[in-house]
Amino acid sequence: MTDASRIAARALGFRALVWGFTLMTIVPFGLLLLTSVKSKQDLFEGAFVLPDRIHWENYVTAWVDGHFSVYFWNSVLVVVPVVGVSVLLGLLTGFAFAFLSFPFKKTIFVVLTLGMMVPTEAFIIPLYYEMRWLGLLNTYAALILPQIAMSVPFATLFMASAMQQLPRDILEAALLDGAPRGLILRRVILPLMRPAISSLALFLFIWTWNEFLIPLVLVNDDSLRTMPLGMLFFQGRYTVNIPVLTAGAVLVILPIIVVYLIFQRKFIEGLTAGASK
Amino acid sequence: MGKLEFAGLTKSFGHAKVIRETDLTVEDGEFVVFVGPSGCGKSTMLRMIAGLDEITGGELRINGRVVNDVAPVDRGIAMVFQSYALYPHMTVFENIAFPLQVAKLPEAEIRRRVAEAAAVLKLEERLAHKPAALSGGQRQRVAIGRAIVREPAVFLFDEPLSNLDAALRAEMRVELTRLHAKLGTTMIYVTHDQVEAMTMADKIVVLRDGVVEQVGSPLELFHRPANRFVAGFLGNPTMNFLPAEATGTAAGGIAMRLAGAGEVTVPVEGGAAPGEALELGIRPDDLRLGAGEVRFRVVPEVIEQLGNQSVVYGAAETGQAICAVVSGGFGLRPGVAAEFGFDPAAAHLFRQDGAACPRRVVPGATVAA
Repeated sequence: MTDASRIAARALGFRALVWGFTLMTIVPFGLLLLTSVKSKQDLFEGAFVLPDRIHWENYVTAWVDGHFSVYFWNSVLVVVPVVGVSVLLGLLTGFAFAFLSFPFKKTIFVVLTLGMMVPTEAFIIPLYYEMRWLGLLNTYAALILPQIAMSVPFATLFMASAMQQLPRDILEAALLDGAPRGLILRRVILPLMRPAISSLALFLFIWTWNEFLIPLVLVNDDSLRTMPLGMLFFQGRYTVNIPVLTAGAVLVILPIIVVYLIFQRKFIEGLTAGASK
Repeated sequence: MGKLEFAGLTKSFGHAKVIRETDLTVEDGEFVVFVGPSGCGKSTMLRMIAGLDEITGGELRINGRVVNDVAPVDRGIAMVFQSYALYPHMTVFENIAFPLQVAKLPEAEIRRRVAEAAAVLKLEERLAHKPAALSGGQRQRVAIGRAIVREPAVFLFDEPLSNLDAALRAEMRVELTRLHAKLGTTMIYVTHDQVEAMTMADKIVVLRDGVVEQVGSPLELFHRPANRFVAGFLGNPTMNFLPAEATGTAAGGIAMRLAGAGEVTVPVEGGAAPGEALELGIRPDDLRLGAGEVRFRVVPEVIEQLGNQSVVYGAAETGQAICAVVSGGFGLRPGVAAEFGFDPAAAHLFRQDGAACPRRVVPGATVAA
């Protein structure tokens, strides 16, 4: 066997492996999508059998009767402020940790790291009492405020480490150009941080969208429920109608996929090209 | 106006003293080059002037005003970084205009100044481009443009040409010298490249381990180095150092015995006790093939033929490595010994502690002592 054919054979092996993994990931999604457009009768024909026509009405049922329209807007109303405020705070605190010196910097950093490690289950009961004391149970504030607090430690660490990667010369040049701190952050750092901000926003979006325990414990009014929680109660009501259930599941994950597709370009895109050397 | 004075300036990082007490004056309009090997403290010195590094001790005065605690922007300085430090998301125009926008100058004034700088730096066609679309030389010019528009009293350059290729470096060297002549502003330039130092400077400051070894004009440093380090650092190829033993002080200078070459009297000031160990320094281009008062034999190992001259790397009979730059020399063959010589007036003499004996004759140069 020649060298070239040996390399080709090895590449083929790798490709088969990669295709195997890809299929393993995609098939369940495909099955979910397929089931969501079938009728109940179609389902009995077999999981992989194509339906005679596409049953969009499953989505309509889930959206209207399953209250997914309400859950969807609740999720949006929670996710947007949580991601927006957390990214903004993360930018400011990240800047402070990356470039400024202030008392107890290391201690605060450790506390933030600890904050990231504590699971929600560990503080959900005190948080419940705190929210009750504040009179915020069953409000949007109960869904938004704790999730901002939970996102800030990660946002800070993420932003601080991303800012430390910036070429120091550029920041020093801005300093010599006379730019005050706020202006350096706004006109120099912020535009260079766009890929990092996109990544952070995407992480926070996914986490907040999927957050389950906080809405479960702090909210019991159906009109305030978010998508994952809605899915749980929906399951209770529609256990028999599997196609409608899967349509609901697609509605829950669809926004994540759409947002990912929009932001993933920024994930890869580097903006510092041409900055130096 | 851009006069700088260092009075007992020091810098320490923790316990490590990187700049020892330095006293230095840079006159208004001077082109001063800080030169020295890596880690000698030249960049630190520049960053202290810029205000990017704190001054540990002593005073730094710009135009008579102590600026130790003055913010970088209020010092009247502009700096060009080795990495250019351009804002990658801004166009060339926005990069150059940035300091003016920060200073809240009127829009019309900003346009006028940027256009002026772009004309000087031949960047008019590139104003709408982003740095990524520019060549290395153009990026460096944008960085210079950003410094020019601020009309600073002092320009600081931190190895600005070290990322460029050799041809572009030579071109930019000339451009910078021309720019200095045109603006007449004080410029402080840091480099480890002695060619840049020799060709551009009005005054060179040679640094080693945070200590100023010598300050002077390029020719003064070249012909009257204060010590063995300066003599060895300036000049390419570097100076040959030959061990010698003093035999006494004669009317014509210090007499010595040079291994493999016999008795030599080098015309320098001062005296030496018989038996004192000395080092004779001779630049490669002061060695001649088969000529000169003092002769010794060298076995060439590598010969670089440059067309009009030859660079010979070899060893003397004593085993001492020798480099010679001779005109012609086309008959030289590796491994075949040849006689080289020099005139004692061309030689430098160093004592054991490295200090140079002041030369009496400086050939071919009018140098202020």
